[in-house]
Amino acid sequence: MNIEEYISSGILETYALGDLSAKEKEEVEKNLQLYPALRDELSKVEQTMEALLMKAGKNPRIEVKQKLFQKINKKPEGKLVQMTQESSSGWRYATAASVAIALFSSYLAFDYWGKWKNSESNLTDLIAQNQRIAQDYNNVNLRLDQIETDLKVTSNPNFTRVVMRGTPNSPESLASVYWNAQTKEVYLSIQQMKELSKENQYQLWAIIDGKPVDCGVFDFGVAGLIKMKEAFAVPTTFAVTIEPRGGKLSPSLETMQVAGNLAKS
Amino acid sequence: MVARLIAKDQSALDYLYDHYSGALYGVVFRILKKEEIAEEVLQDIFLKIWDKIESYDATKGKLFTWMINIARNQAIDKARSKEASKGRKTDDIDYLVNKIDIQEHSQLPIDAIGLKEVLLKLSEDQQFIVNQLYLKGYTQSEVAEEFNIPLGTVKTRLRLAMIELRSILDIK
Repeated sequence: MNIEEYISSGILETYALGDLSAKEKEEVEKNLQLYPALRDELSKVEQTMEALLMKAGKNPRIEVKQKLFQKINKKPEGKLVQMTQESSSGWRYATAASVAIALFSSYLAFDYWGKWKNSESNLTDLIAQNQRIAQDYNNVNLRLDQIETDLKVTSNPNFTRVVMRGTPNSPESLASVYWNAQTKEVYLSIQQMKELSKENQYQLWAIIDGKPVDCGVFDFGVAGLIKMKEAFAVPTTFAVTIEPRGGKLSPSLETMQVAGNLAKS
Repeated sequence: MVARLIAKDQSALDYLYDHYSGALYGVVFRILKKEEIAEEVLQDIFLKIWDKIESYDATKGKLFTWMINIARNQAIDKARSKEASKGRKTDDIDYLVNKIDIQEHSQLPIDAIGLKEVLLKLSEDQQFIVNQLYLKGYTQSEVAEEFNIPLGTVKTRLRLAMIELRSILDIK
């Protein structure tokens, strides 16, 4: 083995950081036994790490040490019960022992009760989390279904896309219509439309032979494709106006938001 | 020292705590970022050192290295269990915060003056690696993945940074 190369790969630093897999770690430990040069190098790597981390230290609050030592001294060492043989008053010791055992068991019972409570609350958390994930999964599924349906329309060559750009009323607005000349289906997709008050809705019109024909109403802010009323003749233009909720029979042209012409084929 | 610890000599633990609690707490705090949680984990770490000292093997590395690894693992475990119970939305926020951290990585969030001076002597690349691996407690593969650096490059940069630090910190 080329020691220089092995060292310069940075494997000893990784080893000291505890970042190696169990297998790699075992290999390094084997090599440390074999090559003194590796041990020297590791020692320097460790000293550097130690010096760095000592500089980067931060003192915990003083109570932490007290609590630590309290915990250490409170730990049951398992030497509570000691029976002496030579005693003539064996019963007294037996009583003392059973009291000690009783105390110890109550301590254990209490300890396990705490643990049980703890796992119970963990379980509740996990169940809640699980439900949340299931709910999210359903939402994603629904969304995916919608996107799939939309994709069938947008990728279907029988649908002509008509981009409706903003009129001077609302230059920022943008929406598209997908129109199928064979089935006469009309879908609408909002790219950007202004927010409307509750009383109003957008209404889509198809201009056929110079006359506006109602294609249905829609609200602002709907994601994905919206299925509209079918347009039975060949329209020249699609346009959207703002109308009272439910729509009107003829458009209020002065509120026209977007419009686009169908490319002649 | 190790022998005294194995013999359950509390004065040895006392000494160990006085000397190393700062370094270990620094590691834990930077990973967990909350004082109460980090202090609780620090206690667990010393309890573990106290209970498991028999399993420390001096031929495999220094006591400090062994303790630091316990500290890192304990803190990372805690951080993971905390994240798991927090749910998704906050994870996204954590992720964002991390991203912001990353963008500002040239300004190291370090308050100890001695440390800052030391790190400023390294190149920016090296500061970054040392900061992520030793101070923030990321694993090498996490750094490689998150910052799109090949794992081998992470290792060699770390190696170069450590050689540089060796002379800065005057390790012989």
